[in-house]
Order: sequence, then C-alpha cells, then structure tokens
Amino acid sequence: MTATALAVIELEVVAREAGLHPEVCERLMRLGLLDGPPFADDAASQLARAARLRRDLGLGWSGAVFACELLRRIDDLEAQVRRYNSEG
Amino acid sequence: MAVGYRDYYETLGVPRDASNEEIRKAYRKLARENHPDVNKDPGAEDRFKEVSEAYEVLRDEEKRAKYDRLGSNWRRGDDVSGAAGVDPRDFDFDFGNGGGGTRFDFGGGGGDFSDLFEGLFRGRRSGGGFGGGFSTRGGDHEASLELSLEEAARGGRKKITLGDGRDYDVNIPAGVRDGQRIRLAGEGSQGVGGGPPGDLFLRVRIRPHPRFRREGDDLYTDLPVTPSEAALGADVPVRKLDGDTVRLKVPAGSSSGRKLRLRGQGMPGGDLYATVMIHVPKTLSKEERVAYERLAEVSGFDPRSERR
Repeated sequence: MTATALAVIELEVVAREAGLHPEVCERLMRLGLLDGPPFADDAASQLARAARLRRDLGLGWSGAVFACELLRRIDDLEAQVRRYNSEG
Repeated sequence: MAVGYRDYYETLGVPRDASNEEIRKAYRKLARENHPDVNKDPGAEDRFKEVSEAYEVLRDEEKRAKYDRLGSNWRRGDDVSGAAGVDPRDFDFDFGNGGGGTRFDFGGGGGDFSDLFEGLFRGRRSGGGFGGGFSTRGGDHEASLELSLEEAARGGRKKITLGDGRDYDVNIPAGVRDGQRIRLAGEGSQGVGGGPPGDLFLRVRIRPHPRFRREGDDLYTDLPVTPSEAALGADVPVRKLDGDTVRLKVPAGSSSGRKLRLRGQGMPGGDLYATVMIHVPKTLSKEERVAYERLAEVSGFDPRSERR
C-alpha cells in the first residue's frame, strides 16, 4: 500500500475520521486541542485519542485535552532523549 | 464451543465482596496504567482490554450478580457452554447498546473480546437480542522507521516490513525530520461496528551521520585544510551528502571555525555549511621544518593577542 501525509481540510472530514460528532470536535478545538482549518494530518487521531481518554479514564473534556497535551510533551521529550542518546 | 473463563475480580485485583467504589477505583488505576494512548508497551493494549471487559461486567450490579452466579460453578479452563443451569442468553450484556457506553475501541471488532465474552455475544446474537448501532474508530498504532540522513534528504518510496510481517511501500517526504510521524491512513486497528480503522504512524528516527550534522534544514560538515591553504586561500573539494563533490573557495586568512556556506546544498530548503578545520602534519619533513622555522622568524602574527 502507499501512504502519504495528507492535509485534512474540512472539519466534517476530520470528525468522520475520528468517529465523533462535528460539534464535539468544535468543542475540543475551542479547548485548544488543535488548530485549523487547515488541519494537521494527525488531527483525527488527536480527536479520537481525546475522546478515548475521556471515556476510558473518566475524564472531562478539559481533562482529556490536558492529558493529550501532557502525552504530546512526553512524546517530544522521549524523542529528545532518543536523539541525545544516539548522539552521545 | 469452548469458553475460557476469566476471573474478573482477579483482573481488577479486588476481592469478591468489593464495593462498587473499590471496583471503580481499581479500574481507573489499571486503565490509567495500561491505556494504549498512555502506555506504549506492546502488552498494554491487551491488558487494557482485559481490565475494561472486567469492569464492563462488575460495574453493573445485575451483570455482576449473574457473573457471580456463573462464577461459583467454574474452574479455570472449564468448558461451561453447556454447563447445567447456565444459559448464555441469561447474560444481559448490553455492550454498545446505549446505557453506560461502550468501553472498547481498540482492535478489530469481536475478535478482541475474551472467549467468555465472545461466546455470550454469539448467544445473544443468535437469540436476536444483541442490537448494533454503535460504531467507533479503531485505535492508532505507532512504529519506528529508521532512516539514514541521505534517505531523509532524498525522500521517496521505501519498502518496510513491520514486526508483524506486514509490508508497506511508504512515501517518505523529502527532508523529513527526526521525530516526525508519517501517517499510514487506515492501517491501525480495525474499527468497531463499521467504524473507520485507525491509522498507523511511523515515527522517523534518523541515524547519526559520521560526516554531517543537521540543524533544521541546514547541514554542517568539517572542512580540513592545511595551514597554508588557510593562510593563502585555496580552492578545495567538498563532498556533499549525495556523494557528489563541489569546489569551494576558502578565502585567504580563514581560521578554524570559519563557516563557509554552500547555498542550497543542505537538506531540502537548507544550506550546507563547511566549517574550516586547520590540520597540521604530525611529523614534518626536513624541508617543512625549515620552512616553518623561517615562517616563525618572519611572522609577527600572535593569535593570543586577539584574545586580550
């Protein structure tokens, strides 16, 4: 198969990919989960992750967005540590 | 049909007389620890599913009571599909059918549930009691994609095989950066109830290069020159990342550390900087020694004076 990083343009498209109602996506955007349009290629997965965290961990929407932000920072830090270790 | 039992109390680590509050607390703790969005450990997703399945049953008093009734009759590994007094349809799992909401959305549909759950679902389905209507997107997966700096600069297609044996022909954007993720749409877990599949993300890891260092879109490389080339100026060859060689004019009077730019020869959109590094021979021939001694006599240059 072939895959490319695609820029998703419409909120409805992102919402459908995330399996969420567009209004829920708008709410998550207002809470600062993501910017757009245009949306990043991983926008749908970010939205779906927030929804999963909310449901599975009993979080509110704000808490889910906060958790996503912390997870993103952890990802960044882990990437930095990997770079540091590979250069060291 | 063989049905393998699971001790849901054991899964959640609670006693059989645990209160609803204790069960909820145990679930929340285990869910936080094993949630696939939080824990990247390969086994976390399976543990999370087990924990969720256990909570799905034990959080509901009616389901829990029925499970307890069944549970008193079973031993691990027993086949109870035909056990006396046990009718799978007696279980009222309204999984995904409104109520408290469905808790699973990782992996491919029914195949992700335990044998116990599966058997019970089939029983309900054949009885016509299991309604659909719920769908959700499959979970995302992430894998590592290691590239050389040359591959990252060039971009293009690359064939990869993941640990599970699946092959992909990935389109790598030219100039991709370390840590960047490439999305393979629809290659994550299957959706549930007709929901769309999740995505597979390949996190790019670029191997360190022995001669080039990357900063953003720019590349840096050392340019060894002789003392006379540095002092008098010279036209020297520089090897680029793609292996080709270009000529670079080293201006007269270049000290170590001076950066010379080769515009457009870095990563896509970036430049290549060659850092002048003056090298001296470890040993000198007789003629060289004479020449250096003569140079020392006539030269009034004192590099330390520039620091004062």
